[in-house]
Amino acid sequence: MLTDERRQKLSAALRQAGIEHLVLYGNAWQGDYLRYGSDFGILEGHGLALISASGDVELFLDSATDAERAEQEVPDIKVSFTPNIASAVGARLDRVANSRIAAAPRKFLPRWLTDPSRSFKLEDATAIVDKLLMRKSAGEVAAVRRAAQIADEAYGEFIRAVRPGRKQFEIVADIEAHLRRRGCPDNFMIIGSGGKDVFGMAPPSERRIAPGDLVTTELTPAVQGYFAQICRTLVVGKATEAQRRAFAVYVEALEAGIAAVRPGVCAADVAKAENDVFRKHGLGEYTTSQWTRVRGHGMGMFADSKPHILEDVETVLEPGMTLIVHPNTYHPDAGYIVLGDAILVTESGVEVLCKTPRELFEVAA
Amino acid sequence: MRRGLIARSLTELPDAVFDARLKRVREAMQRAQLDALIVYTNNTRPAGVSWLAGFVPYWSEALLVVPREGATYLVAALSFRVKSWIERVSRLGEVLHTPRIGLKAAQQIAAVKSDAAVGIVDFDGLAAGIAADLYEGGPSLILCDASAMFAELRGKADPAEVALAQKAAEIAHRALAAAPGETLNAKIATVESAARDLGAEEAYIAAAPDLEKDSRFFRVEGEAVLGKTFALRATVAYKGTWVRLVRSFCERQVAQQAAEQFAQAVAQLPDDSSFSGFRSWLVEGCRMAQPLDPLIGSRFGAAHAPKPGALVSVQGVLEVNGRQVPVGAPALLGDKGEAASLLVDPLFD
Repeated sequence: MLTDERRQKLSAALRQAGIEHLVLYGNAWQGDYLRYGSDFGILEGHGLALISASGDVELFLDSATDAERAEQEVPDIKVSFTPNIASAVGARLDRVANSRIAAAPRKFLPRWLTDPSRSFKLEDATAIVDKLLMRKSAGEVAAVRRAAQIADEAYGEFIRAVRPGRKQFEIVADIEAHLRRRGCPDNFMIIGSGGKDVFGMAPPSERRIAPGDLVTTELTPAVQGYFAQICRTLVVGKATEAQRRAFAVYVEALEAGIAAVRPGVCAADVAKAENDVFRKHGLGEYTTSQWTRVRGHGMGMFADSKPHILEDVETVLEPGMTLIVHPNTYHPDAGYIVLGDAILVTESGVEVLCKTPRELFEVAA
Repeated sequence: MRRGLIARSLTELPDAVFDARLKRVREAMQRAQLDALIVYTNNTRPAGVSWLAGFVPYWSEALLVVPREGATYLVAALSFRVKSWIERVSRLGEVLHTPRIGLKAAQQIAAVKSDAAVGIVDFDGLAAGIAADLYEGGPSLILCDASAMFAELRGKADPAEVALAQKAAEIAHRALAAAPGETLNAKIATVESAARDLGAEEAYIAAAPDLEKDSRFFRVEGEAVLGKTFALRATVAYKGTWVRLVRSFCERQVAQQAAEQFAQAVAQLPDDSSFSGFRSWLVEGCRMAQPLDPLIGSRFGAAHAPKPGALVSVQGVLEVNGRQVPVGAPALLGDKGEAASLLVDPLFD
């Protein structure tokens, strides 16, 4: 259902732009463009989908294992396994070299396909597909909403999993197992634990949880290829007064950011609302790229979609966009703190999709 | 995008291992008259950079630059905040952070020698945007493909990599050996959890839920109904080294016959004639940067015949007593004409 809807929207966008053939690229890191057009969630190797404005789709994969999986998971499209997908797609494009052909995201294409000596020229259709990826239909929003619900449940599991003496990777193992039991096949998750010596989150290490630690996580499960994220921080033992005071700034910033979300405002407006809270508290330095990456981002078929919530991003928010607002950064009195909720931009404003309380949770030391 | 434990081990990957690999690479660069070598890494293609520096990205992308002389350095699109993490888990001279990694890498190389000869691993497959930035950052650099040179070095495993593959195989075996649970999802969760608890850097469990209907594997979303016979496949990475292991849940006698036939066929590799009795088969291994590149198989013949001394993961489907039985395990190919040997028993109690 969702697949048909996406393909129809993509075909309509191509026809409107006068593009006759589209090449979509994907890999396990950035697989959203490929998945939008082919419905295949790539895990290994490179993938290219060749899509015509009439709606025909052919998927080229250079992993034999993933090609076998694609034949079952997307049985309605032609799947071609070949160790060199660029030349295989190039051979197809040679036949239609006189037509208008575009690619998205063009900058990720294998270089060979963009070499000037090719018989075909590939325009950049990234912006066209970006619009489709960002503004979601009711069915797509339902998938994100379900993913947010699973993220809430997984965070509950995370609270139960954090105990002194456990290693970070053992906690992540618990969460991934919880998600697999729920039938959720994909999740992006990073973690941090410690005190003022910790400046961010990363994949899990062998570091053991200790009393007094701040434990941060970003959990991002996917449903039908749509990701939703939650960010929370907990303390092992009783939170100190400094930790509570610090955390209150993040609650205020998150609330300010969410309050700024409505159709017609820019991503920059949301970032500014969050950062102004930090500036008000004399913490403006910690909103810079030295301490934090983004103040939130889009969510959808990629865990870190456009638009990025930054003070120089002018993308206008529209109904149907799903985002996470997260004023995650370092605090000099407490260490790295994260707090973020998945949200939906609605016709009238905003709907918060995460239901986990915005608390500095405490677990037994 | 589901990384588990990422940590450097100075006992499993001491500096001497990376030094020896870099020495071989630099000798090859000297022969090829290359001033620098560039190796790309991301989630999907980490195995070139992890082999040279131990770095495995959980996100984003980076270029490793190996000058013919001097320390290697990483040009990473990951943000500055994770610099200390990268340095902790890798063995690198320097880490530079920039969103335009091609531009920065080219500028760094050109600053030493403006017309340097630069070999790029998998140049044809490099992202077009990075390639364009390389040309912009070093307009006089001479860029060329170094895939064949690198594949020649990367294709044969050294003792450290064999030991890591052995550990990965043991993790996969122990994880698959314990697959309790009423439902398929419960079994998958148990296997994945066990692999991660044993230190797997990546664990991806695929299923063929009903072998009477289909012996192909897929990733389960939602619920799938278990048949009387089914199979699980664990793809496990340990410190940059990947293996696949298959367990078929069927009658012991059938599984044993399949395992024996499989072991006999694997022993003959890279001669693949013993696989003629298989319904399908596939040999994967690392050539450059993709951890499990398809090398030879029933679907495509010999794309890239594995080299003597290569680590491979082999999968096949046999018909035993009228039943389809998937079987698979990692193996080490003989270096000087010896039989290939399985790293772990493909049979489970």
